[in-house]
Amino acid sequence: MRIVRWKAVGPLAVFGGLFALGWWLLADQATERAVEYVGAEIVGARVDVASADLRLGEGAVRLSGLAVTNPNEPMRNLFEAEAVVAKVQTLPLLEKKIIVDTVAIRGVRFGTPRRESGALARRSPTSGRLVREISAWAGSVRIPSLSVSGLTSVVDVSVIRPESLATIRLAQSLVSRGDSLEAGWRAELAALDPRPRLDSARQLVARLREADPARLGLAGVRALAESGRTELAALDALSRRVDGLDDQFKADLGDLRRAVQGLADARAADYRRALGMLKLPSLDSPDLSPALFGDMVLARIQPILYWLRLAEQYLPPGLDPRRRVGPNRARASGLTVTFPREAALPAFLLAYAAIELELDGAATSGPSAAAGRYAATLTGLTTEPALYGRPLTLTAQRLGGTAGPRDVRLAAVLNHVAQPIRDSIHLTLSGLNFAPALVPALGARVGLEDVVMQLGLTRVGDDLGARVMWRTDRATWTREGSEPDPGAAVGSRAWAEGILWRTVSGLRSVEIEARLSGTIRAPGLAIRSNVGQVVAQALRRELGAQVAQAEQRVRAEVDRMVSRGAEDARQRVASLEDRIGSQMAVRRQEVADARAALEAEVRNLTRRLPVRIP
Amino acid sequence: MLLLKLLQQLVRALNSEGTPGQVAAGFALGASLGLTPLANLHNLVIFAVITLANVSFPGAMLGWAACVPLGFALDPVFDAIGRRLLLETPALTPLWIAVYNTPVLSLANLNNSVVLGSVLVWVVAAFPLFLVVRLGVARYRVHVYERLARTRIFKAVAASKLYNIYRLFQPE
Repeated sequence: MRIVRWKAVGPLAVFGGLFALGWWLLADQATERAVEYVGAEIVGARVDVASADLRLGEGAVRLSGLAVTNPNEPMRNLFEAEAVVAKVQTLPLLEKKIIVDTVAIRGVRFGTPRRESGALARRSPTSGRLVREISAWAGSVRIPSLSVSGLTSVVDVSVIRPESLATIRLAQSLVSRGDSLEAGWRAELAALDPRPRLDSARQLVARLREADPARLGLAGVRALAESGRTELAALDALSRRVDGLDDQFKADLGDLRRAVQGLADARAADYRRALGMLKLPSLDSPDLSPALFGDMVLARIQPILYWLRLAEQYLPPGLDPRRRVGPNRARASGLTVTFPREAALPAFLLAYAAIELELDGAATSGPSAAAGRYAATLTGLTTEPALYGRPLTLTAQRLGGTAGPRDVRLAAVLNHVAQPIRDSIHLTLSGLNFAPALVPALGARVGLEDVVMQLGLTRVGDDLGARVMWRTDRATWTREGSEPDPGAAVGSRAWAEGILWRTVSGLRSVEIEARLSGTIRAPGLAIRSNVGQVVAQALRRELGAQVAQAEQRVRAEVDRMVSRGAEDARQRVASLEDRIGSQMAVRRQEVADARAALEAEVRNLTRRLPVRIP
Repeated sequence: MLLLKLLQQLVRALNSEGTPGQVAAGFALGASLGLTPLANLHNLVIFAVITLANVSFPGAMLGWAACVPLGFALDPVFDAIGRRLLLETPALTPLWIAVYNTPVLSLANLNNSVVLGSVLVWVVAAFPLFLVVRLGVARYRVHVYERLARTRIFKAVAASKLYNIYRLFQPE
C-alpha cells in the first residue's frame, strides 16, 4: 500500500488554484472588512471603507472613502479621508505583524454629517466599557443648578420630607438606644441587689452594739470582731462591683451625650440637603461657573478622556502578554493573547505619516469652523511602544486658508515606552468661531467668535492635570424666548430672569477655564469663568436678600421638623442619667453607710477590751 | 439535507474499499476540521494531508461532520484549556513568545485560547480516536456490512454520480 495518493495531486492543485483565485478576487474585500472591523473595535463606532486595493507585491494598500464615525455623535463622522495610501513591509506579514513605513492621506474632512447612524449595535468590550466608565464619571460630576424658580416669592418647602432628614433618624435611634440602655441597666441593678448583704451588715452592727465584752470573754469578742472584718471585706467587694457598674454606666452615658451633640452636625447636613432639594443657587462665583457652563465643558472634556484612555488601552507600556477578545466567528471567540518579544517587531507599527490636508469647507453647510490647509506629522504609532522604544509624536499646524481659524498648533507626545505612562498634549487654536450654544441657566444662547482655545495636558501614570481655556472679546448673547418684562414685580420669576439677562447681555469678554486634576479614571473638574463672577456679583447685589430669606424659610422648616425629635432624644438621655444615675448613687451610699457603721462598731468593741486583739 | 450528507458519508466511509485503518486515520484527521475553528492554518495543512495521504477521504469527511457539533459544544472547555496554557502556565510563556514571533507559525492563531485548546484536545484525542474507529469499522464490516449491502438505500447511494468523484480519493 502506497502512503501518498498521487492521483489526488491534480485535484489538490486545482483546489490550491481556486484558493489563490479566491484570495486574488476577495483580498481587497477582506482588507476592507478587516479595516472596518479593527477600526470599529478601536474607535467604538462604525468605520466604513468604500473600497480597498491591496497589492502585496508592491507592499501597498490603498483605502478609498474612509469614514470614521464620531463615537459621541453617531450621525457625524470624526473624519473622512478620500484616500489613504500606506506602504507596508511584506515579510512581517508572515508574522502577522503590520509594519507601515509611510502613510499618505488625502482629502481629509472633519465633522462631516453621515447619511446613516454610525453607532454600533454592540460595542466592543473595550470601547463599550470606556464609554460607560466615562459617562458614569460625567454623571457623577456635580453640576450645581442656577434656577431662578427658587427665588420667587413662593418657596415650596413641602418637598422636604421628614423621612429624608438625617437628624430625625438619628434622634429616633437615640431614643430607642436610651430605652434599651435603661432596660439593660435596670436589669444590671436588679442583678446586683445589695439588700441581703446590707441586711446582714446591719444585723451584725446591732449585735456588735449590744455586745458586752465582759460577758463574751476574749474568745467571744475575737470571734465577733472576726465576723465584723469578714463582713467588711464582703462590703468592700460589693462596693467595687457598684463602682464598676457606675463607671460602665458613665461610659455609656458619655457615648449617648456625644451622639446628642452630633445632632447639631446632622441638622447642618439636613439644611444643606434641603437647600439642594429646593435648587436654591449659591451666590459664590466658584459655584456659579459650573452652573452656567458645566454641561458645555463636560461635553468637550469627555472625548479628551476617551481618547487618552483608548491610547492607554491600545498602546500599553511594557512587554507583558496582552489579552483581547478573539475574532468574531460562528465558534466562540475565545481570548487572543499576544506575546511581544524584545528586539522583535511589534504587531503594528506606523513609523512615519505625513498628512497634508485641506479643509475647504465647500460642503453643504458652507465653510466649516476648521477650514484651511494643515500639515500633520505622526511618528511611532505602535501597539508595542516598548519594542519600538520611542514615544508617539504628533504635530500639526495650519498652513493657511481663507476661512477657519487663524492659527492651529498641536504638539503631542505619548510616551508609553515604559511605566509610568507620560503623555503631554499642547494645543492652541485661535480665531475659532463657535455656533451659538444654549446656556439653560441664563435662558440665552451665547455665540463665541474669534475664540482662542488653549489645551495643556500632562499625564504621569494615573495622575492627570489638564487645563482648557476658551477666551474671546467678541461674545454675543441671544435671548431664548421672549425678552423679560422690565416692569415685572419684584420677587417674580420674570424679575429674576430680567436681572440675569441684563447682566450677561452686555458682556463681550468671555473667558471659560476648565481644570482637570486627580486620577485619569475619576478626575476632579473645576470650572471658572468671568461670566460666573459677574453673574454672582449681580445676583448677590439684587437677589441676595431673596435667597437669604428663602434659605431662612428652609432652615425654619427643617428646625420645625427635627426640633421635637432632637428634644425627645435629649430628654431621654437626661432622664436616663437621672433615673439610673440616682439609683446608682443610692446604692453606693447605702453600701458606704453600712460599711462605715460596721467599721465603727468593730473598732468600738475592740477598744473596750483590756488587751489588744491581733 | 445535512443529515442526508452525513448518512451518505457514513455509508461510503464504512463500506469503502479502504482498510479499517485508512478509514480510522481519515476520521481522526477529519476530526481536526470539526473540533477546531475551521479557518485556521493548521486545518489547511490537515486538509492537504487528507487529500495526499492514502487515507479514507469519506472517513475524513465523516470525522469532520461528526465533530462539528462536538466542537461547538466543547468551545467553553477549549477556551478554559487555552487560557490555562496561555496565561496561567508561566513555564510555557517562552514557548508562546517563540510561536507568536515565528514567521508563518504565528499565522496559526495558536495564541487564541479556543484554537489552542481545541488543537491540543484533538492532538491528544487523535490516536485513541484512530484506534476506536478502526476497531469499530472492522467489527462493522464483519457483522453488519453484508446485510446492509443488500438494502435499496445502499445501492442508491453507491450508484450516484458523486460516488464516482469520491472514488478519486478512494484508498489505494
